[in-house]
Amino acid sequence: MLSNSLETTMSSRNGSTRAPLIECRRLTKSYKKGDNTITPLQELDLDVARGDFLALMGPSGSGKTTLLNLIAGIDRPTGGQLVIGGVDIASLSRSKLADWRSRHVGYIFQLYNLVPVLTAYENVELPLLLRSYSGRERHEKVQTALRLVGIADRHDHYPRQLSGGQEQRVAIARAIVTDPTILVGDEPTGDLDEESARAIMELMTRLCDELGKTLLIVTHDAKSAGYARRTLYLEKGRLVEASEVGARRVAAAQG
Amino acid sequence: MLAPRLIPLILKQLTRHRVRTALTVAGVGVAMFLFVTVQALQEGVTRATEAAAGDTTLVVYRENRFCPATSRLPQYYVERIENIPGVASAVPVKIVVNNCRASLDVITYRGVRGDDIAGTGGWSSKWTLVAGSVAEWQKRSDSALVGETLAARRGFKVGQSFDSSGVTVVVAGIIRSDQPQDQNVAYVHLDFLQQSAGKGGGLGTVTQFTVRVNDPAKMEAVAAAIDEQFRAEADPTTTRPEKAFVAQAGADIVEIVRFTRWLGWGCLGAVLALVANAIVLSVQDRIKEHAVLQTLGFRSGLIARMIVSEGMIIGLMGGALGTGAALGIVHFGHFSLSQEGLSVTVAASWGVLALGLAISASVGVVAGLVPAIRAGRREIAACLRAV
Repeated sequence: MLSNSLETTMSSRNGSTRAPLIECRRLTKSYKKGDNTITPLQELDLDVARGDFLALMGPSGSGKTTLLNLIAGIDRPTGGQLVIGGVDIASLSRSKLADWRSRHVGYIFQLYNLVPVLTAYENVELPLLLRSYSGRERHEKVQTALRLVGIADRHDHYPRQLSGGQEQRVAIARAIVTDPTILVGDEPTGDLDEESARAIMELMTRLCDELGKTLLIVTHDAKSAGYARRTLYLEKGRLVEASEVGARRVAAAQG
Repeated sequence: MLAPRLIPLILKQLTRHRVRTALTVAGVGVAMFLFVTVQALQEGVTRATEAAAGDTTLVVYRENRFCPATSRLPQYYVERIENIPGVASAVPVKIVVNNCRASLDVITYRGVRGDDIAGTGGWSSKWTLVAGSVAEWQKRSDSALVGETLAARRGFKVGQSFDSSGVTVVVAGIIRSDQPQDQNVAYVHLDFLQQSAGKGGGLGTVTQFTVRVNDPAKMEAVAAAIDEQFRAEADPTTTRPEKAFVAQAGADIVEIVRFTRWLGWGCLGAVLALVANAIVLSVQDRIKEHAVLQTLGFRSGLIARMIVSEGMIIGLMGGALGTGAALGIVHFGHFSLSQEGLSVTVAASWGVLALGLAISASVGVVAGLVPAIRAGRREIAACLRAV
């Protein structure tokens, strides 16, 4: 039962209008490596609707993580246009982009990247320290996020005291605690066993469906991609194929 | 400035490598201990040798002599000095020391006439009696009024007798004075010392005259008049302001202490290197973590400020440790450097404590600046890929 303020706020966004939240036009990323110019992403066009769940697949070096990082605002395109929620994020200054990320992006890493000297609670609290919330407000939001990912009973555990699946749940709580517009995951199940991976994907699917989050994940795992509404295949920096509904969703729909 | 809610995060980071942090803090503490001790020495020299506008005391010594054992002047000079215009008072003083060389533990006897100490307007009127009484001192010819620093260093108590340079005296009182020289001597009766001390002449011979002038502006003129008075005598004199006399007679000490300021600067250099090394290592360990924080929305400037704060906290902790230890040892050790019967008291003020803390914090900030700026400039995606 979603009853508290964070959950309510998250739920209220579940309008799922199909207007594109993310608009990539001729999006290009290239960089110099020695004398060579590497172009991991070439003139990619992509629209992602609000509330969509997108899986990016492709071989190593195909540009999927680059695309994810550009959308997450932790890398900058060298060409084309990237508009998210009406904001051309490539034109933002470094500090404005940081502020934008803190409000709109929740990032889930493959290796969790929790701060080892902080407890689960403190790790989830981290993004809230950037806002002027009172201690009580922060406490409520952290508790809610921990409950949503089913790890509230481990709030005082340090990362070294948690399993991989539990660490990833904490990382997801950290990603959602600020109620971001977009959740991005770079191989979020890549370091987990099959059972933990399934649980994490089900959790992310639930967040996407119930809280109206727009979710993009990079994965090599077809099972994980099966939870997405759409799967995009990239190769050498270009979009080569798209499939509309993941197998797991089809299976779930068929009961 | 950092929001207070971020301070626990910074403190937690310092516990990441506890041994490294503890060693760095200990290293900073040792360096700041040395720095503050040097500062205390400097302060002692400044107090003992730096002239103040209101100084009125001259010291008349035997010309070309700097050691109390060789400066011998006829006691009767005192009446002629008192008759020189501008002189308020003149006190003949016999000085006997157990060690003429520079040392940390010298007992200096100063033989002074009873009235010069206890009479109306006598020297005792400017002292605070910590224990015993001046009246008791007057009663016994072999009694001594002992400076507080000397009494604390040697553990002297009222009623106790002690021997130095073959002269045995009984402690009649312990005095406190704002004059560094008074704090580290034992005042005894002049005639008693003249009779008891084997060397340096007997009755009728003194080491120096301590002269007070009426007008501080006329110190030089009065000094010149005194020396002129005795120029043709068998024992000519050299007269200088007391603090200039200390600076000249204790020149070896003053020079050594002044040299130690370089040790102080060296200590600060060591602090800088230590903290910078700790911060650089710490930042290198956390390249990916900083990228994660930036991904969460931490601005690069905020991360830089957090790193600088870590340096400042390490500096402050080490500074508090070292400065506190130095002040404690200086305070309870009652050290004074003596030479030729003159003392430079090693004493640190609260100002030195504040200076030590401020400098250690500032050095910590400076040490953290470069790694902080470099950490803030790193590209997030590259850091996430690289580690």
